Amino acid sequence: MNLHPMKLVTIVCEAYAQDAVTKLLRDTGAHGWTSFAVEGDGSQGKRPADIREFANVQIEVVLQPETATRLLERLATDFFPRYAMIAFESNVRVLRRDKF
Amino acid sequence: MSILDAIQANLLSPAVLFFALGLIAALTKSDLKFPEPLYVALTIYLLVAIGFKGGVAIAEAGLAKVWLPACAAMLLGALIPLWTYPVLRFGGKFPAVDAAAIAAHYGSVSAVTFIAATNYLKAVNQPFENYATAFLAVMESPAILVGVVLGKLATSKSGARDMTSLKAAMHEALFGRSIFLLVGALVVGWLCGKPGMAKVEAFFVTPFQGVLALFLLEMGMVAGRRLEDLKKVGPFLLAFGIVMPLLHGCLGVWLGKLTGLELGGAILMGVLAASASYIAAPAAIRMSLPDANPTFYLTSSLAVTFPFNIALGIPIYFEVARWLYS
Repeated sequence: MNLHPMKLVTIVCEAYAQDAVTKLLRDTGAHGWTSFAVEGDGSQGKRPADIREFANVQIEVVLQPETATRLLERLATDFFPRYAMIAFESNVRVLRRDKF
Repeated sequence: MSILDAIQANLLSPAVLFFALGLIAALTKSDLKFPEPLYVALTIYLLVAIGFKGGVAIAEAGLAKVWLPACAAMLLGALIPLWTYPVLRFGGKFPAVDAAAIAAHYGSVSAVTFIAATNYLKAVNQPFENYATAFLAVMESPAILVGVVLGKLATSKSGARDMTSLKAAMHEALFGRSIFLLVGALVVGWLCGKPGMAKVEAFFVTPFQGVLALFLLEMGMVAGRRLEDLKKVGPFLLAFGIVMPLLHGCLGVWLGKLTGLELGGAILMGVLAASASYIAAPAAIRMSLPDANPTFYLTSSLAVTFPFNIALGIPIYFEVARWLYS
């Protein structure tokens, strides 16, 4: 089986930021992503997911390494100062490299 | 009935007692929790029911009676941010963007507060114009747009990006789920009229109070979970969250009288002017003024003004209106 190295970028942010983040994903060249509602606690307070608007979302996207770096840089400059958000990347290996 | 009787009648209603129960659940860290889809379902039910009822009432009364107070309501919503902004900016020393964001919330309205007020009027046998729901529908958006523009003007740097976020706010303010449902149900009710009401009455009218009680239990928990943020907002905003609704409530009642509403309708206009948005406005503001601190606007509207109006504000506006009409 032929597995290719890629980066998985995980973004956990307030639900209000979701539209802006997915727009950024599209702009940086992501071909697709997955998002789900999550809850937790962090430096900007507890986020009880009682109302969808007040909840957190987790967005996961698999990218080429250079695209992942570009995305993280944009998040750091434009998003971190404004939104409750964390982002990190990890190494993954994928089938069908051309899908990413 | 004295003002204390009016308050007592309100505090002992199932809706307010369930709200208090929700607050207690949150404060005692009970593991009671509504699943998110249930919250959404209850919201949809309440908005559709109140919208439909209002639409039928418009069909009955005729547009000629509704348009003047509706325009006045809309204007009042748009104007409120224009004086709350300087109060916050210069009185409370808030940064411009935060002052604009909070001003938008206080000009906009809370549907749940309005619904609780209609419930209260029913409980004390005070007739009211059911078409007042139309005022709720037209008051939600204008203040949000005015607030966003104020915030943009105060912090304007780059033109192009500002315009796109203003567009996003406008879309959220006009087509967000609550306003969409409410206006949609109003139109449906208006088109169906009385014969339509007869068909859905058993579902939308009879169980309404029970659903509202359940919803306020949940809202008590939602507000209660934000109570610890009160420490972060400071005494000025706490006072603002109580004094402003009182002033706006009186203003709304007076405007209702001026535009020819009966006592019940004027009370509802007062309640709308006094209420602050905590669903539609935060969504639009977070998108278009991301630099504004959500702790300020969300805590003051959700944890101060909303419980104040539900418990004390509604009977106070009721008494103010009775005094004004006597």
